[in-house]
Formats: sequence, C-alpha cells, structure tokens
Amino acid sequence: MSRTPPRRAPAPAGALAPQAPLSKDSRLAGEIKHLVAAGERDAARERYGELVANQQRRAVRIAYQYLRDAHDADEAVQDAFVKVFTHIISYREDLPFEVWFTRILVNACLDLRKSRSRRLRWAVPMSATSEVAPAEPTAPDPSPEQRLVSKERAAEITTAVDALPDRQRTVFTLCHVAEQTTAEVSQALGLSEATVRVHLFRAVRKLRRVLDRT
Amino acid sequence: MKCHMRANHLSEDRLIELCMLDTASSAEQQHLSTCTRCDARRARVQRLLADVSDSATADADAAFPLERLNRQQARILARLQHEGRPARVIAFPAGHAPHEPIPARTRPASRWIAAAAVGGLVVGVIAGRFGHDYTFQRAGISRVIASRGVEQPELRAPVTTTAIREVTATISDDEFLDQLETAIDAPAAAALQPLDDLTPLAWEVR
Repeated sequence: MSRTPPRRAPAPAGALAPQAPLSKDSRLAGEIKHLVAAGERDAARERYGELVANQQRRAVRIAYQYLRDAHDADEAVQDAFVKVFTHIISYREDLPFEVWFTRILVNACLDLRKSRSRRLRWAVPMSATSEVAPAEPTAPDPSPEQRLVSKERAAEITTAVDALPDRQRTVFTLCHVAEQTTAEVSQALGLSEATVRVHLFRAVRKLRRVLDRT
Repeated sequence: MKCHMRANHLSEDRLIELCMLDTASSAEQQHLSTCTRCDARRARVQRLLADVSDSATADADAAFPLERLNRQQARILARLQHEGRPARVIAFPAGHAPHEPIPARTRPASRWIAAAAVGGLVVGVIAGRFGHDYTFQRAGISRVIASRGVEQPELRAPVTTTAIREVTATISDDEFLDQLETAIDAPAAAALQPLDDLTPLAWEVR
C-alpha cells in the first residue's frame, strides 16, 4: 500500500552516520569537489546534474512539507542546489552528502519562510485588489496510491502535521519523510541525538492524539 | 538490558522507536507475538506513520510532477552556468559600440572646478554672514550714538566699548525703527533714493 520506498534498516541508537559506508551520492559529491578544485567547472557542472537528479525528489518533498507552497518549495530547492555547488569546495568528504545538503536545504526553507512572513505583513489584502492569484500547477491524474488515502484523511493529516511546533515538525519531517536516521538529523540540525529523539516522540504522540480522535 | 516494558506491556515511546528507529529485541518480539494489545498498538502506530508518510509524499509529488522537476533541474543548471561569470554590460546609449572606451565619469579638471566652486560657496556664505553681522552692529551703534548725541551732547565724548554694548542691548524695537526713520530722512540717504526706486518692494514680489 505504501508508496514510499522501503525504509532503510534502522541504525542502532547512537550510531554516527560517518561510520557507515558513504553513499553513492557522497562519492559523487567528492568527485565534483575535485573537479571544481582542478578548475574543470564545466565537467563538474555536468556531474552535478546527476547529483541533482538523484536528490531532487527527496529535496522537494522536504521543502514542500516545510513550506506548503509549491512556488516557495521550488525556489528553496533551487537555492539550496545552487548554494551546494558554489560551496562544494567546503564539503567534507568523510560526511554523508545527504546530511550536508539537508542542512543547507532546511536553512533555505527557513530563509524563505522568514521572507514570506515579511511579505505577508506588508501585502495588500486580496479583497483590495482585483487581481486573481496565479493558478497553482495542476496535478496530473491521481495515482492509484493517492486514491487509497481519502482526501479528508489527507487534509486531517496535513493539518495535524502543520500544527506541530516548528522543531518537532522539522525533526519528524526529516526522520519520517526524508527517512534520515536520528544521528543524521542531529548532525543536520545541530542538535543532540537525545533531543532529536525527544522531539520525534513528542511529534508522534501529538499526531496520534489528534489523528486517533478523528 | 534496558527495560521498555510497563506493567508487562511496551511503552508508547518504545513502540514508536520500534516503528521508526529500532528493531525489537528477542524478548520484545516474543511479547509482541503473544500480547494482542501491544501488537494492536504497534499496528496503529505503524498505520498512522504510513498514512502521514503517504499523505506527505502524495502532496509533494502532486505539486511536483515529472515535468516540473525537469524544468527545475534545467533552471538550476542554467543558474550554475552563469555563476561566477561577470555580469553582461548593456551598451548605453543604444548607439554606443560596446568596444568603444567609455569616458571616465569624472575627470581631474572637472573635479578641481567642482572643489573650487564648493570652496567659493563656503567662503562666500561665511563672509556674507560675518560681514552682515559686523556692518549691522556697527551701523546700529553709530546710529544710536548719533541720535543720542543730538539730544545728549555728553555722549559725543569718547565712548568705551562697554557703554556701546549697553546702549545696543537696551534698545527696543520701537526705538530702533525710530532711529531707522531718522536715518532715512537724513540728507545722506537721498543719494540712495534712485537705487531704492530700482529695488522692488518686498510686498510687490509674490
């Protein structure tokens, strides 16, 4: 039933990500770093296209979960990928690329949320203007998996996740939607692993309280 | 071994851990296989997490279909292509050939002229203000002395600076205007009459 890819084998508590063998994308990021260092920027860009393709889907899921707006999520993901390439020289090859990238992406989302709230503060209410908001891109026909989850249930879940405090939502999104281990999330967010676990448990308990009632 | 059982049942946090992060120990596995209550609780947590995950990914995937992802990727790579390159300079005015050397915005000569003009302006303002105050004070004093001198001959004697200051300080507006009228009526002012005729009056200038 689940459309999510099979979960990674759970990492033992306390295990740090760098001890695990590095992923294919981490090796690819290392290669790109060396190409940039050697001044072969065109070749590096070409290779970077592959990395973008590999990480893109996961990135938009995280950003969309965070921002709940397709345009903002698009912008945040683009900014994050551009930032990663421009700072690829500072990538530490002994660390998983996903963790580094997630950190940059989360920061990009936070920046966008800040600017969005600033924008909303100064925005003229829609009723005062005759302009019509640009239409969101329409989704293609729903997949069979989508049909399984009823619209109402999906709306309830979205509301419940959105109602979580920021930290809990971030940790939950990274652990559950982005499928990162608590060790990776703790590295990405700069929190201790115990704190990550506490936020995660609280988030799930809260979701259970809300969603089990409905 | 850390105890995760409460009253012979698995705690809620442990159930969450088992569903998200950890694998069950053999004792826990054995318990779950025999305790229908704990097994049902675990199934509920698993279902909830699967629902949330499905909902999140479905929302994001609907908002980002494959074409949009391709467009996004193309935009990222296009942005990277321009990264690190100097910005394109648009020729202005339009007829200007881009290879023509653009004249420097400021030349040394024009800079000197500007500095001299500013200097002159500053000196002029200071001198004007100082000169005005000085002549006004002198005229005021001399007029006071002159008019009083007519009525009080003792004032014709040499006057100390302190005395002058006292005279000018105590003069009222009415007195000053009286003295001004007296001075205008004096024969010396007649010479200035043609100049006065040429000068527009303040209330005529709007």
